[in-house]
Amino acid sequence: MRRVPTFVLLLLGAAVCVGLDLAYDAAVSADRGYKFWLTIAVMCAINVVGATALNIVNGMAGQFSIGHAGFVGLGAYLGGFVAARVALLMKIPLDELRDNLSLTHSLIIFPVVVLSVAAVCALVGLVVGLPSLRLRGDYLAIVTLGFSEILRLTVLGTNADSAKNPITKGIAALGGSLGYRGPSVPGGDPGDFVGIPSVAGPFWIFGLAALMVFLAYRLKRSGFGRALRAVREDEIAASAVGVDPAKYKITAFVLAAVGAGIAGALLVLRRDGPGIVTPANMKFDKSFEVITMVILGGSGSVTGVAVGAVLYTTVFYAAEEGLLQLSRNYSAFADIDAAALRMTLFAAALIIVMLVRPEGLFGEREVWERKSKGGPKPPTSTKPAVATEAEA
Amino acid sequence: MRTKHPTRPEPPESFASAATPLLSVHGIEVRYGGIRALKGVSLTVRRGEVVALIGSNGAGKTTTLRSLVRLVPWSAGTASFAGQELGPLGTEEVAALGVSLVPEGRAIFPNLTVRENLELGAYLHRDARIIGETIDDVVKLFPRLGERMRQEGGTLSGGEQQMLAIGRAMMARPSLLLLDEPSLGIAPNLARQIFGAIRQIAEAGVTVLVVEQNTRLALEVAARGYVLRTGEVAKEGKAKELLEDPMVKEAYLGG
Repeated sequence: MRRVPTFVLLLLGAAVCVGLDLAYDAAVSADRGYKFWLTIAVMCAINVVGATALNIVNGMAGQFSIGHAGFVGLGAYLGGFVAARVALLMKIPLDELRDNLSLTHSLIIFPVVVLSVAAVCALVGLVVGLPSLRLRGDYLAIVTLGFSEILRLTVLGTNADSAKNPITKGIAALGGSLGYRGPSVPGGDPGDFVGIPSVAGPFWIFGLAALMVFLAYRLKRSGFGRALRAVREDEIAASAVGVDPAKYKITAFVLAAVGAGIAGALLVLRRDGPGIVTPANMKFDKSFEVITMVILGGSGSVTGVAVGAVLYTTVFYAAEEGLLQLSRNYSAFADIDAAALRMTLFAAALIIVMLVRPEGLFGEREVWERKSKGGPKPPTSTKPAVATEAEA
Repeated sequence: MRTKHPTRPEPPESFASAATPLLSVHGIEVRYGGIRALKGVSLTVRRGEVVALIGSNGAGKTTTLRSLVRLVPWSAGTASFAGQELGPLGTEEVAALGVSLVPEGRAIFPNLTVRENLELGAYLHRDARIIGETIDDVVKLFPRLGERMRQEGGTLSGGEQQMLAIGRAMMARPSLLLLDEPSLGIAPNLARQIFGAIRQIAEAGVTVLVVEQNTRLALEVAARGYVLRTGEVAKEGKAKELLEDPMVKEAYLGG
């Protein structure tokens, strides 16, 4: 097999990302109504990061985690908080934080944010995964769901006026049900906040998406990935060849947690982003969105899942926008609730996809792989097998 | 994560160590809930031997094998492999000692290719050259696998899957090969071939402990045998003697 050296791929990837970044800026300055599609492109890339990460644990390791939103939320809060703190430490004028952040500043802040998010998510992933992954079966699903809900409800229920001790005060600094909106405006009203600095330009977002896909693909094809898939297929057989299933499951879970955290950070730090993190960011339906992307693309397939994420995101936003336009422009449709109708149509589409292609769009194959792995067609019964064996 | 492990089956031992068995099991008891599946099983396997463990359904044959690789915990008794106590080890650690299990029911990795299955068998080895050589050895043993390298394991026929399972176990270059019902659900013709391969494996110096319901097939290849009945060793002896034994004939060879 021909092999392209890693550094060439990385350089190429970086070049493409710079190109995308420039294209993004050009499109923004052209201001011809591309904004909507640009947002979709950025959201696609962020979801590629999240879905690719979940695919490591759900697809490759075969462990059903449904608490991905917990780590997305953790990364979002942590990313927002760290970015704001670092920006304050660097004494960046507050009026620059949201919209006029210089490239130099974002080049310093963003790596700090990503590294701290990755470190904390890895640690939390280890704490959550360690007890649950030693067990077999559905425990992981239950524990991860519980984890993400505990996280959400803790932040949601801890508001500044009810906080009494240092711990609750610390949690209340995240804004409780109102959400975290960065540092407060000096001299402004108590409710005025600057917003979370938008340090994640398109370069970072597209770059991280590409890097994630690249790393996940390398992982899948490595000895580690092979052992991971063996654990998914048959834990007993895997341990019989010397693979420690618990170790692999936990490592996969930690990797997925890190990826989810980074996706969460991108979500709130993206340019033209919301500038706010709320507990709703880690509601469990967010977990199901990511699971849908993985299953839609084909769990275990790195590129398939990336396609699934892009497809889901695009259809999701485009359908809402389309229905919104419909209800605005045609009086006959004025009463439709775009968001609700979108979910209904979406669910129906997913059911059809699952009926026609239960293994997802690509199964475990990569986008460029053909369905049959080559070689002669297997005999359908043992009879011809015996016959050919006798001839040999 | 990986443990160093001898890369070749041990060379023939000197007289002194040939006396100590490679695998010795003393009074193993296994309980499933309140049921005693094994009521104190003792057996020994010497280096280079092929030993058969026979008995009817539910006699505890599979449980014995599974307990040896620590897939099933035992409540009493001891077992040691090459002087190493197996009790405190996990399944993957037993594998690292050089014990390869071919699990019951052709437990291959169905969505992985034949090559990937084999490469996983060599999980405990790192030397690409040795892994390549071992793949060649396995293909010599089972030429069919060589033709199917790029196919997914699940697309193979039952007999081929069993070959793959054995081939995968051989990839670890084990000193003890444990086989759980290798002929189960396989056409008689193919079962014979698989036992032929087991004979070749033994001739290459690998010690083999095989659990089998097909008593005749197993005793033809084995040097010694143990007959398990309701969780106990009912009889043991040379394979030839067991084949002639009236009790064994009556119960397991169809009179």
